[in-house]
Amino acid sequence: MEKHKNFFTIRLDILAIAFLLLVGCRPQPNEPEIPGSIRFEFNLQWSGEDCAVGAVQTDHMGHPVRIDNLQMYIAPIEIRNERGEWLEINDVALLDFGVHGQKITAAANVDTYNAIRFGMGLPAEINTDIDPASYANDHPLSVPGSAGMFWTWSSGYVFVKYEGKFATESGAQLIEPLSYHCGTDESYRTVVFELEDAFAIESQELTAFTIDFNAAAALIGEQDAIDIVEDPVTHNAQGTVLGERLMDLMDDAWNLTRQ
Amino acid sequence: MMGSKQLRALIAALILISLTGCERCNPDSCDPPCDAIATPYTLEIPPFFPPMDIPEDNPLTEEGIELGRLLFWEKSLSADGTMSCGSCHLPSAGFADPNQYSTGITGAQGFRNAMAIVNIGWSTSFFWDGRTTSLEEQILEPVSHPDEMALPWDEAVSRLQNAPNATTQTDYPNRFAHAFGPGDITAERTTQAIAQFLRTLISADSKFDQWRRGTATLTDEEFAGYEMFIREGGDPETTPGGQFGGDCFHCHSEAGLQFSDYLFRNNGLDSVFTQDPGLAGVTGNALDSGRFKTPTLRNVALSAPFMHDGRFQTLEEVIEHYNSGGVPSSTIDPFMKYNSGGLTLSAVQKGNLLAFLNTLTDTAFVADPRFQDPH
Repeated sequence: MEKHKNFFTIRLDILAIAFLLLVGCRPQPNEPEIPGSIRFEFNLQWSGEDCAVGAVQTDHMGHPVRIDNLQMYIAPIEIRNERGEWLEINDVALLDFGVHGQKITAAANVDTYNAIRFGMGLPAEINTDIDPASYANDHPLSVPGSAGMFWTWSSGYVFVKYEGKFATESGAQLIEPLSYHCGTDESYRTVVFELEDAFAIESQELTAFTIDFNAAAALIGEQDAIDIVEDPVTHNAQGTVLGERLMDLMDDAWNLTRQ
Repeated sequence: MMGSKQLRALIAALILISLTGCERCNPDSCDPPCDAIATPYTLEIPPFFPPMDIPEDNPLTEEGIELGRLLFWEKSLSADGTMSCGSCHLPSAGFADPNQYSTGITGAQGFRNAMAIVNIGWSTSFFWDGRTTSLEEQILEPVSHPDEMALPWDEAVSRLQNAPNATTQTDYPNRFAHAFGPGDITAERTTQAIAQFLRTLISADSKFDQWRRGTATLTDEEFAGYEMFIREGGDPETTPGGQFGGDCFHCHSEAGLQFSDYLFRNNGLDSVFTQDPGLAGVTGNALDSGRFKTPTLRNVALSAPFMHDGRFQTLEEVIEHYNSGGVPSSTIDPFMKYNSGGLTLSAVQKGNLLAFLNTLTDTAFVADPRFQDPH
């Protein structure tokens, strides 16, 4: 009898171990569902055609123009579920269109979503009066991470750098400077994509989108057009109107497609 | 036969292992390294400076830094035993070379001015053309470069391994063992030690630093120069957004008090770049032609001559260059006012700017006994 008792006790212990080993690393039934992920791939275009930084294009007035540097902050990126709730999936990112196919990938809760939006620039609470040295160096707002996008403590960060060269007539050397630096809290814009077809985030599955930025549309839109010969430079930290116009034009320069 | 008590102990051990198995230490990721015998060194980050990223495989240690200092000043790391790293990076010149071009042991000269190595631990690229992205990698080059110290690394390692000897009195095998633990002296360990030392070369006590900390006052002239420094350049009539400033801050960013944006720019020195393509020589991208790393302005008053090729002997010449707007080219930086009449600074404004630049001199740093030649 004693022998049987010991054998039974030991067997219980072994079963307990086996149970722990089998379930120890698995989520408990009441744990939230493992999220999926969402990826945005950013692509540079000129008048609807894919292009690269450094390529010579022609603007709406026939001027040869070459974009040499195109960087911008987007903050935050959010997606809206069918209950109307916006979910932040990325707080701040610095896009550099000199990097081909730049991607932002983030975790997202399993749900169905019908809109995507992102801020173009930085919200006021993370723009001015913040020391970039307070961030870890891999943060996009840090000293090295901001990659020349920091103005000063009072005026904050440059939201968009749209730089290059242009010529006043076809065939001439591209030597005239094009330098649009947009910033200030008033320049912050929100780009919203209302989706006709909702998309689902599935657990542990990737959902991917391509976001095209049409650099030509930064110079001409339905309501406004900028003559780069007349207005080749702005640093709208000083509150110039040109910077605001550019941000308004760029607000409509985006296109989103599901991959 | 295993008794029930032994079996229960085994079971308990198995349970423990099952619960903690995922936390088991990986010998490759132990922090500090499992075989470390050196004394960890805590780097003091000055106020307003960003954190310094130190490679996980080369943490700072007291012994490593001291070894790095010995190696930085070690002339036996040159083929003929006449040059050390410090020969071209003189403390009195802000750890730069006062000569336009550095002269190697063979008498050959380079074609660029040796960069100042102040606050280099925050730099993210090295050399004027950014051809290396780590300090350790950067250090490899001058020792073996035929126009510089011209000592193959295997010979350098052999000399260190056999020290003290005719070329050096320092007991390097002992020093390396204390800094890195058991194992051979290698080129990798040598560059790691020098890199540790270089990361301690921190200048943060200039008059400007003291002013930022509230312990010093800038003169009216210096403060006016500072305002010039951080103001947009150009006449607003010809340069939209211009504020008659010096427009220095875009590239020599005040962020983190680094006075550099870590980027590469063509600042309008030349119209063609066949002799020295700069960053384009590394990337192969024509858009990078004539672009060079933005140097820090710390101790700039000590680190003449200026520009990548040391063409300007004085800061007055430098200011005049920017005031002129520079030479147009396909890749000149749009910050340069080359087609709008330059910065149009008056003599007084230029003087103020110069006064401000002088506030970036840190005499305590260049005289710091911890950085001088220990041999």
